[in-house]
Amino acid sequence: MVNEGAITGERVTMGWSLKAGEVLYSLRDVSVDYGTRTGLVKAVDRVSLDIRKGEILGLVGESGCGKSTLGKAMLRMTRPGKISTGELWFDGVDLLTLSQRRMRELRGARLGMVFQDPMTSLNPLSKIVDHLTETVRTHEPKVSEAAARDRAERLIGRLGLREERIDDYPHQFSGGMRQRIMIALALALRADLVIADEPTTALDVIVEAQFLDLLRELRDEFDLTIVLITHNLGVVAEVADRVAVMYAGRMAELASVSDLFLDTKHPYAQGLLRAVPNIELDDAELYQMEGAPPNLLHTPHGCAFHPRCPAAMPICSDQQPAFQPVVGDHHAACWLYEDHPDKGGDGGVR
Amino acid sequence: MHPLLIVFLIFGVPAVLGLAWVFLRGSESLRRYILTRIALTVPMVLILISVVFLVLRVMPGDVVSSTLGPKASDATRASITEALGLDDPLIVQYFKFLGDVVTLDLGDSFIGARRPIVDELGERLPATLELIIPAAIFALGSGILFGTYAAIRRKRPADYGFRLYSVIVYSMPIFWLGLLLRLVFSVWLDWTPIAGRIDVVTNTTLDRTTNLLFVDSIISGNWEALKSVLHHMILPALTLGLVLSGVFVRLTRINVIETLQEDYVIAARARGIRERAVTYGYALKNAMIPVVTVIGLQVAILLAGAVLTETVFNWPGMGRYLIQRILLRDFQAVQSTVAVFALFVAMISLAVDVIYSVLDPRVKY
Amino acid sequence: MATELESPPDPGQVPQWELELQQVGLVRRMLRARRWHGTDWWFVAISSVMVAAFLVIAVFPQWFASHDPLEQVGPRLLSPGELPEQEILVVPVDGSIAAISDFELDVRTPVAVAQDTPSSDAARDEADRITDEIAAAGGEGRVRLRIARFETVGEALDSVVAGDAVAAVISSTAFDDLTADFPTLQSSGAVSSAAQDATSFPLGTNQVGQDVLSRLIWGARIAVIIGFSASIASFVVGVPLGLLAGFIGGKTDRALTLIMDSIYAFPGLILAIAIAAVLGPSIFNIIVAIAVLYIPTYYRIVRGQTLQSKEELYVEAARSLGAKSKVILGRYIFPNVIPSVAVIFSVNVADAILTGAGLSFLGLGLPPSTPDWGIDLARGQEFIRSAWWLITFPGLAVMLVVLAFTMMGEGLVEIFNPKLRER
Repeated sequence: MVNEGAITGERVTMGWSLKAGEVLYSLRDVSVDYGTRTGLVKAVDRVSLDIRKGEILGLVGESGCGKSTLGKAMLRMTRPGKISTGELWFDGVDLLTLSQRRMRELRGARLGMVFQDPMTSLNPLSKIVDHLTETVRTHEPKVSEAAARDRAERLIGRLGLREERIDDYPHQFSGGMRQRIMIALALALRADLVIADEPTTALDVIVEAQFLDLLRELRDEFDLTIVLITHNLGVVAEVADRVAVMYAGRMAELASVSDLFLDTKHPYAQGLLRAVPNIELDDAELYQMEGAPPNLLHTPHGCAFHPRCPAAMPICSDQQPAFQPVVGDHHAACWLYEDHPDKGGDGGVR
Repeated sequence: MHPLLIVFLIFGVPAVLGLAWVFLRGSESLRRYILTRIALTVPMVLILISVVFLVLRVMPGDVVSSTLGPKASDATRASITEALGLDDPLIVQYFKFLGDVVTLDLGDSFIGARRPIVDELGERLPATLELIIPAAIFALGSGILFGTYAAIRRKRPADYGFRLYSVIVYSMPIFWLGLLLRLVFSVWLDWTPIAGRIDVVTNTTLDRTTNLLFVDSIISGNWEALKSVLHHMILPALTLGLVLSGVFVRLTRINVIETLQEDYVIAARARGIRERAVTYGYALKNAMIPVVTVIGLQVAILLAGAVLTETVFNWPGMGRYLIQRILLRDFQAVQSTVAVFALFVAMISLAVDVIYSVLDPRVKY
Repeated sequence: MATELESPPDPGQVPQWELELQQVGLVRRMLRARRWHGTDWWFVAISSVMVAAFLVIAVFPQWFASHDPLEQVGPRLLSPGELPEQEILVVPVDGSIAAISDFELDVRTPVAVAQDTPSSDAARDEADRITDEIAAAGGEGRVRLRIARFETVGEALDSVVAGDAVAAVISSTAFDDLTADFPTLQSSGAVSSAAQDATSFPLGTNQVGQDVLSRLIWGARIAVIIGFSASIASFVVGVPLGLLAGFIGGKTDRALTLIMDSIYAFPGLILAIAIAAVLGPSIFNIIVAIAVLYIPTYYRIVRGQTLQSKEELYVEAARSLGAKSKVILGRYIFPNVIPSVAVIFSVNVADAILTGAGLSFLGLGLPPSTPDWGIDLARGQEFIRSAWWLITFPGLAVMLVVLAFTMMGEGLVEIFNPKLRER
């Protein structure tokens, strides 16, 4: 069964037959709600996104913008939050219609996740080899213990760790090594899509650089598609093909990496880039965006960014702009690029 | 062979074997840890025994007078005092006491039966063990089972049910529970016998070698005796076990809940590991580590509960012996019994520490 | 996922009702908490009510107990709700006697009773009462009885029929059973002409005739005294020691911890027994014995919390700003310690009451006439076959009280501990 990418209208075909560039995973109008003591929080608010095979898609935004939640939603692991609207199209099927069991079978096998904190993501009582063989044999029960172990050893070796260390326990490895082990786990079954949730946040800069190089290599070698969730624009610039920017649970901008950095459309993204300190400029003060991210219990009416936007227009506080193409494949949700009968006059110019 | 010695052998031999196995299999640092830990047991026992000694020596009132009563003549008093060595300086008494403990010369109880205390304990220690062990097994088993179940079914009726169960059972005074069970099963329903460890008649047919009646009846193939022993054992063991199970249910539940929220559990689910495997392999295994540490402390509750249970069921164990001797002001016996308790506690503590260090590979020695 | 506002609330971003909510008091918050915490809220609510009720009963037992717990107010071993038997005077149908007041004065009138019954006492009491009445009216003369005891009620009645006794005093139920066999005899009513309300007792009476319920109510007072005193004492000693050890560290810490761990590891009850035995029987000594038991608990928790708080960044920051140790201890560390201590306290009181009951059950400490739950349980043991209510109710009382405190502590733990909340 085929379906169309939410944004591009392109076909979402079966994973194994996909060619590079075709839509592998499509989120359509997805919302994730959390119930809190004082009300309902929309951590993700009607987000649509297509992910293409073979790309590294960077998903950026400030803390609390919903990017992590979106990543979890792709694996249907948002507990205690609920996916309240939308569809998750993967492999010709809306994942939301699958049973728990089928979903479990997909996780680890077709969809993988690498978590933020490598220190706590591994079972302290199990050896590394056990982590790997368990994952393999859960999804491919016919594989023998010995064969699984063999696979594990080779994987570890490919990821730059000494094969003898496979019988060691997690606490005997450093943070960077543990993250590699996490990738190994995600690759153990040749997943199609790996979601990396802030994988380098807990690592120091040098280890981070090595890690990113590794990601690129693995993408090429294993035919991976990677969603890289981070708040670090530098990481994104380094390694991503396309970038999606989120704000207050909504999509703000989506573009190729060069387009985003050189031709930024959304005022929020512009602000983000302006805030990056430039060592060459002689500025007396660092640029800082006015205001702060909104309390998600009371997202501002209309465009979520309007209270802080230097280019705000009357319509911005009234109606939410649609997330749509501005130039070619470059999407943005902003009234600057959208026409509306109520839009009056000439809004603030960049 | 003296029954006390036999009991020590029954538990000591497997313990030593276990230690040896761990020793040989473990790393260099593990060995060092075990040796250090064993070495530490000695001062611990020493401290406990010394405290016992001090407490009983600094008591107000003259031991001898209060024991013999006001009518004893001065001569009698003097001779007993000398015999007990109570007129020697404290230090001399202390070392003599230590020496006695080491040689297991615990003196004679000089009230009532006037038997060597070692013999009394030789009969009573196995009795207490026969009570504690089934109780502990029941408590641990049910505690872990129910606690885990309650944790995975969190915030649902089963969870609240088990929490209520554990809280109620823990709040019951153990002597009350014992009396109630006795009332219902022995008095009203007449299903179980009223008191004692074994039917008086059957007792005469049983050869007592270890004084662990359960073991003795199996060894000699005396099935009548075995039936009688089990029949007598069930209520007291159930009483003690129920109260303790409340503690374990709570403990296991809280620890499993916490481990279920750890990152590695979520990461495992993200890899598609089956929920069953996650619960047992990841959550429970990790949750057991803090539980094991607490088990050692629960032994304290177990022994305290044993004292009360033995009193209620007239079970001829060390606990009841202790109370009787205290009320009779037989301090020699009290001193020795408390010393044996202390030794017991120290050994369990050692065992728990060793088990813990084996279970958790993260422990650095 | 809610993010905090860093700038002052902008009316466009924070609605009015949220601002108001933050100003609303504790009560409102507590009630709103019900929706969030669900069943746990009920746990705490119900147990708080139980604890409050128990405390009121303990502080004002005289309002609730209808009888004096030390007085014999009824016949022995009366089961709950059972009416005591009435003693009646049985006389010949055609005789002239209708009551003991009809007896001749100063003559030893033979009266038949069945042995091992309260009948003789009832008869004598009435005789004495009438004698006093006469004396009060200024007269002289005494009502004197010669009690003849028979093995059975039937034999007693036979002697009346035979004329050997003027009357018989037996219980009304016994007479009801036999009335058909003695057509020449009749009941002339209760022996005692003093108005006697035969009352039943809701929980029965014990072997000395005391009202079980009243004893239970007064027992609450003892339990509270022991429980709270011991817990407060443990608290007062354990918490400062824990703070000290955690804060100072070093040798003091090691020495103290070694002592505390040894006490903690030792079976509590046995230690308490030993201490109580050594110090001698008195309520104060029991409190001391129990208090010693729980000092290590407070010590360990407080010390652990102190060690943790000490490492917190804000403490380091405060120190770098020159804050004195006393201030750091009081302002930063102590407030962090309080929540866990509060929860321990309620569980601690429960434990103390349990241990106290255990100690008095074993016969150590309280004078045997004190209305205490443990003592009542111990004394009721002998009558386990005949009087089940003697052991059931005191134990139930202990259980309910301990349950109330424990449930309160449990519920508070669930509500306070953020780690137990689902992510």
